[in-house]
Amino acid sequence: MTGVPALVAHGIEAGYEPGLPIVKGASVTVGRGEIVVLLGPNGAGKSTLMKAIAGLVPIARGTVTLAGAEITQTAAHRMVRLGLAFVPQTENVFTTMSVEENLVLAGHVAPASVRAARLAAMLELFPDLARQRGLAAGRLSGGQRQMLAVARALMIEPHVLMLDEPSAGLSPKLVRDVFAKLVEIRASGVTILMVEQNARAALAIADRAYILADGRNRHEGSAAALAADPDIAEHYLGLGGADASVVGRSAP
Amino acid sequence: MSLQFLADGLFAGALIGLGAVGLTLTYSILRFSNFTHGDFISWGAYLALGTVGALTGWIGPAARFMPFSFGWPLIVGGLLAMALTGLLALLLDAALFKPLRRTGHGIVMVIASFGASLALRAMLEFLFTSEPAYFSRAIQIAIPVGLGIRVTPDQAAMMGLALVVVIAMHLLLTRTHIGRSMRAVSENPALARVVGIDVAAVIRATWLIGGALACVSGIMLGLTVQIRPQMGFDLLLPLFAAAILGGIGSVWGAIIGGLIVGVAEAGAVQLIGSEYRSAVAFVLLIAMLLVRPRGLFGVREG
Repeated sequence: MTGVPALVAHGIEAGYEPGLPIVKGASVTVGRGEIVVLLGPNGAGKSTLMKAIAGLVPIARGTVTLAGAEITQTAAHRMVRLGLAFVPQTENVFTTMSVEENLVLAGHVAPASVRAARLAAMLELFPDLARQRGLAAGRLSGGQRQMLAVARALMIEPHVLMLDEPSAGLSPKLVRDVFAKLVEIRASGVTILMVEQNARAALAIADRAYILADGRNRHEGSAAALAADPDIAEHYLGLGGADASVVGRSAP
Repeated sequence: MSLQFLADGLFAGALIGLGAVGLTLTYSILRFSNFTHGDFISWGAYLALGTVGALTGWIGPAARFMPFSFGWPLIVGGLLAMALTGLLALLLDAALFKPLRRTGHGIVMVIASFGASLALRAMLEFLFTSEPAYFSRAIQIAIPVGLGIRVTPDQAAMMGLALVVVIAMHLLLTRTHIGRSMRAVSENPALARVVGIDVAAVIRATWLIGGALACVSGIMLGLTVQIRPQMGFDLLLPLFAAAILGGIGSVWGAIIGGLIVGVAEAGAVQLIGSEYRSAVAFVLLIAMLLVRPRGLFGVREG
């Protein structure tokens, strides 16, 4: 990490109902060009924290800064213009629109002069989507849909890309494809923050990770150190993805 | 048997369809059945009556476009009235629906729209009485077009107008950013926000467009039948039948649903008598909900 971090969420308290916080003072810092992953059991508040940063869940306490500028509680639709893109876990493409329409719609926040070039760049980065550009997004396979959701987020050329469980529901091969694409995207200068249940695969591509439990920070460190720590592995990483949450819930 | 019912039905259907296009858009984007849509139609007709009166009062009587019953004041006044009806819808949203949207209960919105509908209608009766009014008292000669069917020039012009409006709406929804944004909000409002769409702005655009389209059907109805404060409310059932028949959210569905309802109503009048006219829309509505709830062109259920 050098200079001003790309994204800082500090002491965030957030939840859907006033007085019932799901995130209870969690903090996350993402350096420019890093891949940072949020891990933790189900109900730890990972997704809620991410949605709060994206402006989709009200923040009761704490601050969010993007490249040093405070953006706490900015309306979700303005976040995109500031360079913060978010890919929700489910229902993350418009199924009744074509692949191309999904991309064009998202690219509209960019100046008119660069929209066509961005669309072309995305179709080049995702050849599968280029072949199916006229197809309704609802008819894509799960992996292609995830790729479209990522491509859609990249249409705004974000500084920071946030992804909520990009591997959810995908086969191991597709998970590798999606993660390889994320590494490629990071190499182009995009900072990435993601929530993952698939901890081992995520740690393999991440620089650092935070482990949340009950809405608070529990552990943090370099991805390699966390993956190598037997205690962490036992409590949070499990053997695969699914049982990690079961073990995690009974952890102190 | 005379085929005249086909022409009458298609004409009534185009008018119902245009009203249903506005209804289907507001329904799919705002997610409630808006009972004031019928009253937007009545208000649209009266506002057009007002703007046409003001224009002819200001500039003097204008020549008719022969063979039609109207001249340029109805064109200009109609456009003005479309804008005004859109603003009326926007105003009603700001005063009534916007505060209720925060509570998030669809049924509250429906009941509120029912109350607003009564109020809007009562205001028209207060301002204009329930005596019918007319854009023009010129007599229209229906022209035979073959197969024993006669069509008045005004009816033909209105059919053409309906077609132009539907094509314009189709292009708006498929080729423009605001149109795509409307489709996006109708499918998934949360994702729409995530991709940078200002949902509040889309809702405003929807009311403006819905109100303007209601005004067009009000003018069509006023030009070919008469203008009454009840006129829009009486259309409500056929409008809902058309929108649901075509599939909520589908512009072409709404217009085709409108044509089906229109022709079925006119056919019923000819076959079994006019007293069953309004039952036809009801039967079609229920049959569609039982057989195929998402409608002819609906993309998904619920």
